[in-house]
Amino acid sequence: MSARENILARIRRQQGRSGPTTAEEMALVRANIREHGVGPKPLAAQAEDSLELFKRECQRLLTTFAEVDEATVPHEVARYCAEANIAKSLAGWREYSHLHWPAAGIDYAARAANKDDTVGFTGCFCAIAETGTLLLLSSPDQPKLNALLPETHICVVPKARIVPTMEDAFALVRTEVGEPPRSMFFVSGPSRTADIEQTIVIGAHGPYRVHVILI
Amino acid sequence: MKVGLFVTCLVDLARPSIGFATLKLLQDAGCEVIYPDTQTCCGQPGYNSGAREVSRELALKVLKEFRDCDYVVAPSGSCTGQIKVHYPNDLFRGAPEQRDFEALAAKTFELSDFLINVLNVQTVPGKFEGAVTYHDSCSGLRELSVKMQPRYLLQMAGAEIAEMADCEKCCGFGGTFSIKLGEISTRMAENKCANIRSSGASTIVGGDLGCLLNIEGRLRREGDMTTQVKHFAEIAAGDLSSLDGSERNANTNEHG
Amino acid sequence: MQVQSMHFKRNASAKLNDAVLQRNMQKAKGKFVDGRAKAVSEVENWEAIRTHAAALRDQCLANLDAYLLEFEANATRHGAVVHWAETAAEACDIIVKIAKENGVAKATKSKSMVSEEVNLNERLEAAGIQPIETDLGEYILQLAGEPPSHIVAPAVHKSKEQVADLFVAAHGKPRLTDIPAMTREARDALRDHFLTADMGISGANFIIAETGTTLTVTNEGNADMVTTVPRIHCVITGVEKVIPTLEDFATLIRLLPRSAVGQTIANYLTLTTGTKMPGDQDGPEQMHIVLVDAGRTKFVGTDMQDMLRCIRCGACMNHCPVYQNVGGHAYGWVYPGPMGSILTPTYVGIENAGDLPNAATFCGECQVVCPVKIPLPDLMRKLRERQHDMRLRPWSERIPMAMWAFAAKRAGLYAFLSKWGARVGSWLGGRDRLIHSLPGIDGWTQGRDMPAPEGRTFRELYVQRRDKQ
Repeated sequence: MSARENILARIRRQQGRSGPTTAEEMALVRANIREHGVGPKPLAAQAEDSLELFKRECQRLLTTFAEVDEATVPHEVARYCAEANIAKSLAGWREYSHLHWPAAGIDYAARAANKDDTVGFTGCFCAIAETGTLLLLSSPDQPKLNALLPETHICVVPKARIVPTMEDAFALVRTEVGEPPRSMFFVSGPSRTADIEQTIVIGAHGPYRVHVILI
Repeated sequence: MKVGLFVTCLVDLARPSIGFATLKLLQDAGCEVIYPDTQTCCGQPGYNSGAREVSRELALKVLKEFRDCDYVVAPSGSCTGQIKVHYPNDLFRGAPEQRDFEALAAKTFELSDFLINVLNVQTVPGKFEGAVTYHDSCSGLRELSVKMQPRYLLQMAGAEIAEMADCEKCCGFGGTFSIKLGEISTRMAENKCANIRSSGASTIVGGDLGCLLNIEGRLRREGDMTTQVKHFAEIAAGDLSSLDGSERNANTNEHG
Repeated sequence: MQVQSMHFKRNASAKLNDAVLQRNMQKAKGKFVDGRAKAVSEVENWEAIRTHAAALRDQCLANLDAYLLEFEANATRHGAVVHWAETAAEACDIIVKIAKENGVAKATKSKSMVSEEVNLNERLEAAGIQPIETDLGEYILQLAGEPPSHIVAPAVHKSKEQVADLFVAAHGKPRLTDIPAMTREARDALRDHFLTADMGISGANFIIAETGTTLTVTNEGNADMVTTVPRIHCVITGVEKVIPTLEDFATLIRLLPRSAVGQTIANYLTLTTGTKMPGDQDGPEQMHIVLVDAGRTKFVGTDMQDMLRCIRCGACMNHCPVYQNVGGHAYGWVYPGPMGSILTPTYVGIENAGDLPNAATFCGECQVVCPVKIPLPDLMRKLRERQHDMRLRPWSERIPMAMWAFAAKRAGLYAFLSKWGARVGSWLGGRDRLIHSLPGIDGWTQGRDMPAPEGRTFRELYVQRRDKQ
């Protein structure tokens, strides 16, 4: 008998069931999964205006944000980079490469970030108000590394894509994408650690700065 | 109203004056108190040491002894918790006696909880001047939600409450834990004593004799011979001489 | 990690007298406890969420085999290979074999308690594969050659000075004691490893049956690197980690970071499903998931199954007065605190974990803070019952217990013994009414006096009074 069979058999034996898992039992489990029932959500996440809640939660996470029109995104990026004193050179997702980056003095490369990039630029699938969270789904043109390797991560969030809770985000994934992609990446603020004397330090292995541009 | 006094084995053995204070408080509040004199222990020391059988036997003994009472009251959160929570929910869960134990649980109360929430007392006979600090014993607090009840009684006696830091933190008693893992237990008591000192109160009050012995034992070992260690019943009941002479003997010590 | 749990009492004693550790523990305590209290107070329906979480974990455990099969089917469908390991050794064998077959020289690791449990690093090293811990706390401990002392904050027992010394030795750079600068130094040291490792090894906080997804919850971003950059991603996790759906994860993630460290959410939640897809610029070519039993199924279907609901937040230890005073290493194995006092005896055998189920006052704080309502004191008590039934406790405990039990059942005998006990105790108390030492309770009297009994039992005095009336 393989380890697999032994483990499954032991589980069943200890639960007082004999033989292998039955078709009925599998059907029951699948039915429960299909139902994907939703648990209680924090009352605050439902009561408040999603945009306002999202902004407030971003502040708690030390995520900065600005609100602009889509056309002026490059200018906002230029402003942010100047203020943060970082190079105006981005590794970004293809979907935003059509914006007028050169006009804002920005060098925009539509590719996955590498270790030399200092600013990663991404969009997002949606954002979650409850926790100020960005949800990024991986795809050929939406590499995850752009949100991870560079010291600064700038993310465009269309206001219409802010949902109240994580359950709402998953509902969107189901209706718009179907099967989950390789990576569903939930980002909530810059990376941090408290592993030395429980002192919070911003900027562990991921970005030091996360800037959200709301359009 | 017939109230059975479950005096607890520790009070019986070590500080009978707490038992008489309890008796006085209940009688003052108009209860007819009966004391089944075959009672020994709720079984907790065995129960928490894994001796399930004997703790079941002792539970049955308690059930029988207090069958005729309308209420059972104990000056201890942990013994009350044993009767109120662990008898019906664990020891006799699914057993034929479960209903009997649920009925026992429903009529069993920790002393301060009984005085405040069942009898709704507004005054107590005791008088106290100055500040006390209160240690919340774990079982009373977390199993029975005893928190404000003893504080109300102390305030009725005139005491001010000077809360210590971490008043809900375990003092380290834990029954046999205090002997089996004495060094850790001692450290926990030491932390408690530091918080008691910082509170500024000269009296530390609690509702479980086990914790009080532990705290007093550590205070004295640290050389603190002045901080008073009291059960809230002693302060709320005040002078016990209104009970007849034999009770006063409880406080006199032929060897001291 | 070698099991040292039978030496709990001795180890705890050493830790109580370790001034540096005591200082470090004191510092950490407030942050965990206050942080959680604040975060929980912001969620009005916390209790409802807890109740729902406990129920969904129970529902999954009640059909554990079917959920695991469903997980396996869906993970496989997305290109992952699911492996099953009955023992710690088997789990290591599987991962070492995958590494060797793929010519892996270096593996980056994100935090995984299961990998600690099965001694994975040791086994990788023995096979010539270099494991690199990338969680800052785990990295520090890898440099120190120590096991973690906390499941969420592994290096909580270390001061920054101790860490600074380790960094000087490992990095050969000037000694820094500014924590942000030290963190930066570790980031730089680990960067290249992230980008050059052939294999990434992660644990999984949960695995989702619906989608065949495994997921990590981190703040540093290291797990995201580990699961994204190398060409092989290997997940090692316990069979009890399976949950039905994405929505169930949404419930549990409301509880986990708040309970663990008082955060509303962890910075990074990475849900990985299968291998990289055609055209993807990042993600691994191979994904292996090792489902480990190693004692977990011993809980299934028993009166201790509730333990498998555990989501590894660490709140029980953060709030445990015993843990707060002795730290994690005293517990002698991977899992410390109340959860460890239940897992360790069950995984490694109750006969090898002597004092752990007794290392609690049953103060109940752990149960109050547990996000999935595990009745931890009750489960520890059940282990004590097992020890009692198997006669594993020493004679010095069993004889007094047997004598007490014999007497407590017999009112007459008990009255007689307590009457004389009160008198002898009172006499022993002498002038200052304190017993300073007493054989049999020296565990008490070594650090405390025993206030002497008043001299008469309540029973005597009451009966005397009643008879007079």
